[in-house]
Formats: sequence, structure tokens, C-alpha cells
Amino acid sequence: MPVLKIENLTKRYGSLVAVNGLSLEVERGNIYGILGPNGSGKTTTLGMILGITHEDSGSYTWFEGQYGTNARRQIGALLETPNFYPYLTAEQNLEIVAHIKKVKEPKMQELLGLVNLAHRSQSLFRTYSFGMKQRLAIAAAMIGDPDVLIFDEPTNGLDPQGIAEVRETLQTIAARGKTIIMASHILDEVEKVCSHVAIIKNGNLLTTGPVGAIITNDISIEIAAENNEQLLDMLHKHLKINNVERGPQTFIIHIDEEVSTAAVNQLAFQNGFTLTHLAQRQKSLESEFLEITKDVN
Amino acid sequence: MLHLLGLEWKKIRYYRTFQVLVVLFIIALPGIMMIPKTFSSLPDEIISKDMFYMFPNGWKFFGYVGNWLAFFFLGFLAVISATTEYANKTLRQNIITGLSRRQFFSAKLSFIIAISLAATLYYTFVCLLFGFTHTETIYMSKVFQEADLIPRFFLMCLGYTSFGLLVGLLIRRTGIALFLYLSYVMIIELILRYPIHMRFFTNRSIHFYPMNAIEDLVPIDIPPFNQLADEFMDENNFSFFLTPTEAVITSSFYIGLFLLGSYLLLEKRDL
Repeated sequence: MPVLKIENLTKRYGSLVAVNGLSLEVERGNIYGILGPNGSGKTTTLGMILGITHEDSGSYTWFEGQYGTNARRQIGALLETPNFYPYLTAEQNLEIVAHIKKVKEPKMQELLGLVNLAHRSQSLFRTYSFGMKQRLAIAAAMIGDPDVLIFDEPTNGLDPQGIAEVRETLQTIAARGKTIIMASHILDEVEKVCSHVAIIKNGNLLTTGPVGAIITNDISIEIAAENNEQLLDMLHKHLKINNVERGPQTFIIHIDEEVSTAAVNQLAFQNGFTLTHLAQRQKSLESEFLEITKDVN
Repeated sequence: MLHLLGLEWKKIRYYRTFQVLVVLFIIALPGIMMIPKTFSSLPDEIISKDMFYMFPNGWKFFGYVGNWLAFFFLGFLAVISATTEYANKTLRQNIITGLSRRQFFSAKLSFIIAISLAATLYYTFVCLLFGFTHTETIYMSKVFQEADLIPRFFLMCLGYTSFGLLVGLLIRRTGIALFLYLSYVMIIELILRYPIHMRFFTNRSIHFYPMNAIEDLVPIDIPPFNQLADEFMDENNFSFFLTPTEAVITSSFYIGLFLLGSYLLLEKRDL
């Protein structure tokens, strides 16, 4: 059963089309990553499905409409910045969230413990560091134990320790079998956490599917020799190279799976090249992402 | 509605500005009315200092002071309760968390109704307290002779707060919104009258302006304070003040308009 169904969602700001006819479906239990560079329409999309931005056309349905037009009380969401009343304590702020969601016993201490804020529950929100604010927002999103959680750039602006903590928290939540929709421009994050991914750029959906299917089967080999250009020409003659990424000293070739590094080494040796560098790389979502997004402009 | 009022209460009860404004209102209403007690001499028309507090005139004097206080303190509260939600982005967050835009509007509406009601009850209490302690011979018919001011006082509070709410939601920035709220009531409405009718006061159309009507819900039309108004009537052939009925009808119309405007702003805008 789809938790969320988006059909042809479009948002324009003047002549700029922020989101262009976006359609996708999120199934129960998915950890769904919406991946795209800054300004690609991720936040606008989340804003529309959370009711704060009006769509120009298209529609979305939460839980197949079983909670009516306002299903947001069944969803926990953190969009962009953590927004709370600065003159209230963490606990008082969470009480307001629980009040809106009509949650009777919000298990405040347990949630504050989960995000490692139990010791600061009585401090005013304005005294919090950014990382603490972000963690409080995650706790707020989990009030009432919603089945669906939405996080927009959850590690944005955090220091390395904060990023690690937030990711750990996300994985803990995911392990509980929740549906998570997460927007990010950090591929590593999506690759580590998500089961499904939609890649968008300039408001257009480029591709969507399980993370495993987006990462194709071809392999990347990082390679270098005294004369890289001649080596590359030679390799082009003998191998079917899908793509080349050039680095300062080395370059990476993307080839079909059957070719092993040993075969490449042998090929180079036979043609009089001495390789100074040869390594096989697991193809990452990152290179896939760059490949997909670079064609669209 | 009560659920939403409870939400507003949770938001605002520890807000220092709210606490200060409420305390100031509570002190200022009787406090300002105590000032005549310090005068050593009074104009001849005022026989005794007690006439400020006696039934039934006390309703009018306290009402007039309350009129200014409601304009400042209650109006400010309404403006601030709207603008802080923008400043802290909590309006956006409230919607994300699960309020509908209509519920958010209802919460704000219930808040301004609640503070207007509280101010009216306090006004009633203070009038009765001073009235009973300063009137020598109390006739119950005199006590409530001007008590129709009570519902009008409430409508006046609602008038200022609904206008404050609209300005707060429209402008979104606290400083500018407060400035516009103050200057509209005190200056802009007056200036508007001139290009439209080539008159600030001496055209009957002044009766149709919102803030003029809301002010006139609780006017001070008792001698000797209404001398100017009487002279005005002789010169221009129409009354300076709206009649209570006119004021109620005009104010209600504008309150409806302010609330509709606030609702539409919340409903239509991207947050």
C-alpha cells in the first residue's frame, strides 16, 4: 500500500519552474531518499506534501486518503531549520507539538533520551547549539510514534560529531520499520541509509527506484600511467568504455563487469604501458548521480 | 475551539512580552483613573472627584481609559501573537506538525476573543469596585444604567485585536507591523479622509471609517467633556460621535472584514 502518492506535482515561482510534473510513490517501510543538488526542488516538493506550499497543479495523497485532507498529524517532519519557540524550554516546546498532534502521553523523556538531550530538557530553546536544535527537531518529529517520518537535509550545518549522531539516530528509527522520506544533496547519506531513491534536478525527476537498481552493475577502474592520454586511446581501442572521469594524476574508466583489473593490467603491459596506478572501485551512487545529472541542463 | 485556545495558552503563557503587557493593562486601568484623586483643584463643572467613579458615569470614564489601553495593549498583543509566529517560523512548523490553516486561524481568533473577554470582565470588575466604593447612595437602577457599555467594550477590544491580527499577519515583521498598527489608528486613517473627501472631520463620511467607529463604541460623551462634540454638532449638522447602534453595526462589519482578511491571508499564502 502506498503511504504517499504524488501525481504530476508542479510549482512555479514566476518564470522559474521549481518542481515540474513530479510523480512518485512511496511504499510502507521504504527509506526513501530524494536526492538532488541544492535548488533542485527537494524542499519545495516536501513543502507541498506537508501543506505549507500551494501546488500550482497536480496532487498528492497520504495513506490513500484514509485520514482525509489533513494527514499531517500522522506524520513527523523536519523541514529545513528546526523551528521552536525560543523562550520555551525543550520540554515545553515538545508539549506544544504533542498538543497539536493530540498525543495524550508523549513519552517526552524517552524521546529526549533518544536524541541525547535528556540532561538539557529544562533549558530554554534559545540557549541550544545548532546541533542540539536539530536533534530536538528529530525528537519532535517522533512524538506520537508516527509511521512516516520526513527529514529535509537532516545533517545540514552540523559538525562531524553531530552528523554521526543524527545518522545513527536515523538508522535507529529506520530499524523500527518506519517509513522515512529524506531529502538530501549528500549521496553518501542516501546510499548508507536509504532503500529507495528518486533523483531530481531543476524540478525534474531523472530517475527513481531501489538504490540497488540505480547503482548499475558496471565497475570503475582507477588507472594511471606515465602518459595517460596515450593509455586512454589504447584502452578505447580494446575495451568498451562507458564513461571516463578525469582526475589530476589518474582517471577512472567505467566498463562492463566482465573485465577484471588483471585483464586491464595485461592489456596495458602488452601494449607497452607501465601502469603507475591500478585500483578497482565499487561504483558509487555519487558517480551515478553526477552521470545522471550532468546531461540535464 | 477550546483545544486550540489551550494551544495558544501553552505558546504564550511564558512569553515575557505577553506577561508585561497583561500586568501593565491590569495596573493601568485603575491606575490612570486614580490620577484625578491627586488633583488639588478641579474645573467648576466637576462638583466632586467622586463623579469620575460614581454610577453610572464611572462606566464611561473607565471605558474611555480602557479604550486607549485596549488600543495599545490588546492591539499590541494581537499584532505580536501573529508576528512572532512568523519570526520564529513556528506558523510553518505548526502546519507541518498537523494544524490546518483554518485551525491556526481559529486558534488566533479564540485567543483574541479570550483576551477581549478577559479585558471586558476586568473592566466590569473595576467599574463595579470603584462604583460601589465611591457612590454615596446606591440605586440598582443607576448601577447598570450605562451597562450596555459592557458588550460594546468587548466589541471594541475585538475591533482593535482583529485589526492587530490582520496587520500582524499581513506585515509579518513585529516592528513594522506595530508601527503600522499605531500609525493607522492615530494618523493614516485621518489622512486617508482628506484626499477622498477633502475634509478630515467635517464630512459625515467620517462615520464610516473602521477605527473611528471602533473608538466610538466607548466614547466619552458626558458633560463637560463633550463640549467640543456639541459645538461640532451645531456647526456641521451631524454628530461627531456615532450613535451606539451605528458604531456597533459599522464595527461589526469591519471586524468581519478584518477576520476574513486574516483568514484569507493564512489560507492563500505559501508559508
